Amino acid sequence: MLLIRHSNRANNAVRTTSVGGELFVASVVICMILASFGDAVDPALFGEAGLEFAIFDFGGELSVLAMRHWHLLQLLLAGAVLGVGLLVLRVGANTVIKALRPADRRAEEKVPIRL
Amino acid sequence: MELDFLSAGFVSALFAIVLIDLVLAGDNALIIGLVARNLPKNTQRKVIFWGTFGAIAVRAVMAILVVYILDLPGFMLAGGLALVWIARKLLTPEEQGAENHLVKGPATSFAGALRTIVIADAVMGVDNVLAIGGAATGNVLLIVLGLAISVPIIVWGSQLVIRLVDRFPSVVLLGGAVLAWTGYSMVVREPLLASWFEGHPATRLVAAILIFSISLAPWYTARMAEQTKPLVVILPGVLVWMLAFEVVASVWTLQMDYLRATETGEYMLEAARWLGWLPLIAGYLWARERLMLRRAQAARS
Repeated sequence: MLLIRHSNRANNAVRTTSVGGELFVASVVICMILASFGDAVDPALFGEAGLEFAIFDFGGELSVLAMRHWHLLQLLLAGAVLGVGLLVLRVGANTVIKALRPADRRAEEKVPIRL
Repeated sequence: MELDFLSAGFVSALFAIVLIDLVLAGDNALIIGLVARNLPKNTQRKVIFWGTFGAIAVRAVMAILVVYILDLPGFMLAGGLALVWIARKLLTPEEQGAENHLVKGPATSFAGALRTIVIADAVMGVDNVLAIGGAATGNVLLIVLGLAISVPIIVWGSQLVIRLVDRFPSVVLLGGAVLAWTGYSMVVREPLLASWFEGHPATRLVAAILIFSISLAPWYTARMAEQTKPLVVILPGVLVWMLAFEVVASVWTLQMDYLRATETGEYMLEAARWLGWLPLIAGYLWARERLMLRRAQAARS
């Protein structure tokens, strides 16, 4: 029997992990898959036309080639950065959506002003 | 792969080994307690000492063996696939109070107790040693360090590990992801497949997605709605279908590129490759629906 099975929370980690923890691990997994994408493409193919590809790499698809030799610690750091970025994006988007939401009809005359 | 001492690669592999040691640590204290509970006090003390010593010795022998075994052709692939199963099992919640199948009951003699403890540790430690062997990439120093970390966990660290994973359950998820990553790197390092992967570089990405989608299925399934749960089987199934066509094309040297297809047979093969999985999925969904209806009817009656 594994030690982690003695803890209810760890045994049910798929349900009990916090949103932040899940976001971090999911970001690390995304980075791992991106690194394997870099592993799947032979950079020698792009060697001859390197500059041309670099100019047209608008989507950043080819930049993941740099991740092909990344180690676990680099992937963890990249995952943390990606997670924080997604969190900031979510908070920002929520703020914008909240600000754009129209006031309730019954509260039309009471315009809420928050400082 | 050669790793310089304290280089980024070395520290990363060491971190992976520590994480694997934490999440795959077995409960030796429980086994020893169960086995030795009916023995006299004096013999109990001896069983605790020699049982722990035996567990450590077995772990060391297995760690040495795994280095040599993983060098044999085919074993890296088998080890990688085993790690996928181990990661999946790690993330699947177990019922609390499940019986310990490794120990039938308390032992009646010192030799019997020792034998049970050593066998139980060997069975519990196989996944741990295999994962460490895969993460260490054949580096003996890393394997020794992995062993040096797992021994204190066996002897004293159980409460610390339980407290850590109870406070941060995400460590278990991260452990599952690292096991899947180690499994993927073992599969692509397999000497028998190395030249095939060189010739089919895109299949590495397919293999990575396949391995992650199967290993981490218990995690994302817990977050999915009932209607979308068939995707857990369908998506890896489609990837296996595509991968199988690549393998078949390599074995029988068939023309699989639709841009180069010239004969009717080649076009038929292309059609089977891109559309052949549709009737299979329809059949799976139909069978699943029938099974669920039958279960619901049985529950009602």
